[in-house]
Amino acid sequence: MSINTNTLDIRHTIWSWIARNLTNNVSFKAYFEPLIQLFFPQWRADRFRSSVIDVRRESDDMYSLVIKPNKQWKGFRAGQYIELTVEKEGAWVSRFFSISSSPRYFNDSGLIEISIRIQENGQITPWLPQALKAGGVVNLSQAEGEFCLADSTTISGVTASTPTTKPILMIAGGSGITPFRSMLQQISLNGLAVSKPVSLMYYARSPEHFLFKEALNTYQQQVPNLTVNFIDTNELGFFSDAHLLKYCDDFAIRDIYICGPSPMIMHARKVLQNQNVNQEQIHYEFFGPEPVSLEGSGQASSVLFQQSGKQVTTNKDEPKTLLTLAEDAQLKPLSGCRIGVCHQCICQKKSGVVYNSKTKTYSDTGQEEIQLCVSVPVADVVLAL
Amino acid sequence: MSAASNNARPDSATLELFAQDLDQIRSNTMAKVGQKDANYIRNVIRVQRVSEIGGRVALVLGFISPVWWVVGVLLLAFAKILDNMEIGHNVMHGQYDWMNDPNINGRNFEWDHAADSDSWRRYHNHEHHTYTNIIGKDRDFGYGLLRLSDDTSWRPKNRWQILTYLNLSAMFELGVAYHEVAGERIFMGKRRKTSSLPITRKELRNAFFSKAGRQFFKDYVFFPLLCFPMFLPVLAGNFLANILRNLWTSTVIFCGHFTEEVHTFSIEDCENETQGEWYYRQILGSSNFEGRRWLHILSGHLSCQIEHHLFPDVPAYHYVEMGKQVQAVCKKYDIPYNTGSFGKQYLTVVKRVLKYSFPSKIEAASV
Repeated sequence: MSINTNTLDIRHTIWSWIARNLTNNVSFKAYFEPLIQLFFPQWRADRFRSSVIDVRRESDDMYSLVIKPNKQWKGFRAGQYIELTVEKEGAWVSRFFSISSSPRYFNDSGLIEISIRIQENGQITPWLPQALKAGGVVNLSQAEGEFCLADSTTISGVTASTPTTKPILMIAGGSGITPFRSMLQQISLNGLAVSKPVSLMYYARSPEHFLFKEALNTYQQQVPNLTVNFIDTNELGFFSDAHLLKYCDDFAIRDIYICGPSPMIMHARKVLQNQNVNQEQIHYEFFGPEPVSLEGSGQASSVLFQQSGKQVTTNKDEPKTLLTLAEDAQLKPLSGCRIGVCHQCICQKKSGVVYNSKTKTYSDTGQEEIQLCVSVPVADVVLAL
Repeated sequence: MSAASNNARPDSATLELFAQDLDQIRSNTMAKVGQKDANYIRNVIRVQRVSEIGGRVALVLGFISPVWWVVGVLLLAFAKILDNMEIGHNVMHGQYDWMNDPNINGRNFEWDHAADSDSWRRYHNHEHHTYTNIIGKDRDFGYGLLRLSDDTSWRPKNRWQILTYLNLSAMFELGVAYHEVAGERIFMGKRRKTSSLPITRKELRNAFFSKAGRQFFKDYVFFPLLCFPMFLPVLAGNFLANILRNLWTSTVIFCGHFTEEVHTFSIEDCENETQGEWYYRQILGSSNFEGRRWLHILSGHLSCQIEHHLFPDVPAYHYVEMGKQVQAVCKKYDIPYNTGSFGKQYLTVVKRVLKYSFPSKIEAASV
């Protein structure tokens, strides 16, 4: 295996060396990309061009895209996410979404589903359904992420239904249900594969906000060891010690999976820690981009420099550019004119909103190239620096 | 500021209004940037790819008839010009960064040119575009080879600088590649005591050899060998295509900065400069030439050098339209706007090179 990987690596290195020498591009695919796009619009060298089969409404503010991934796409494990890229007004925009359908379903039908919550004031999520209605094209990355059931090694190609060994507690908040839907669909389609109990505590702010309600009820009927609790926060309040004892009193011996909005995850972790639950038992995944609130730009925000692992908090009374913040944090990003002319300090923003003081515009929430020297953070920002 | 004309710098209140007008032009244009621009640049890249591949094939077909060889040379030169000017130069200014496309991105782009793009981004995007025509800060003014104003004193070698200019033009690609290395005086002459480089001199030297070597390998080793029986014709064709590209790019750039009326500035001129003063300096330090659409595209829209210097990161495709508005604003505030036909502008370049080949009257009197 390792020899194989090595030869592949070497071959890849040689090819990209030749491509760079002959075409000044990172790969031959990249060099030919604009020509290939003539025949396959939106084709990309490093992504998988996939077609959207259906856009299905799930609720008032939620819809699912049914996607047929490109043949080269390698599949996924239940709980993983993908980066979805589309072209909007000439610009590629990317967002991360959990896959809400199961690997087993993908094996049987060749389709995957991702379920998307419409962000108020968002630039992408409200626009996508219209843009893709008549069978649009999207680009997928390979699946990523480790938020998977510990022993659910069922990659799509392998339909082995390894039974889970430890009982499981799943805690979902709002659209954080999507990876769990994938896991539960997998369990249900694989038949009676669960030897130990699986319990789901699903929180939403009102009855009409529960997604996949029918499907979840069906899984509950099909899988003897599965319990699903729909918890209306308006009526019953947020996740608490009392809820734990009421819905899943043996939580201490379970593997616990949490997915939902950041405050909910923080809160749930605190409750579990107070109950002396072992850290290693707790798995969690933050879900989706933060909502945009430009009015809140007066608040302090945090900037995470991803590659160096440093994090700083801004002072709201004294706005500083990202370049200054990075330099204050002892980082040395490449920079030049410091007035937004030379574009040397360009850096990739992974997420968050910045204000460009030169163009006087706010950025989008997703991944994009920004100029450090004229950008001021207005919401929590993650930079590839 | 030394200027050939008598226009005095407008007061700061006027320049403030002037800056607001220009900012307005910029934001009006940026509001229009979108799908059309993305399609445009992708189409230009397509034409470049087809010309490059077609050109290399045609060169080999030279064994059928020399006409094919000539077609090959022209196509390849055309592809290189498109790659360097309308694509590379503009992409590397970050004009298409908003597309979020890693292959059409200011930070990643590498061009079909001997100059390492990182080096070029440092001295061109930063130094030249920030300190345009400031003697002592913008090494692009005369490239350390030519005397183009009275700001530098006359030396005997300036007598034949028209020949130096023609040489530089033919080898422009290497001049551009060597520019930063020479500025640091890495191989000969006095080393700069303080270096503002964010990389070590060794890294700079390696980048220079690696990129220039790569280009040399491609055009003068790999492709000629690949078409072995046609080794010499392919080699000669590639060489000629590179020369044609060099002559063209050099001419375009000289017409954008070294026409007769272009002004120079001193370091004091840019201290605590306001946006209006910066705009004003960019306009006085640049010149345009007029022509048809193909001329604009082949020059990478550096035919609109003034607009390029005012708005280096606005997609160049819009410069022609913006030019009319900028010219109107300049007229409103009585600020000189230097434009003319390509031929006329080129003549004034030659005139300028010749004029400063000789000492100025004051200097001559003191000699």
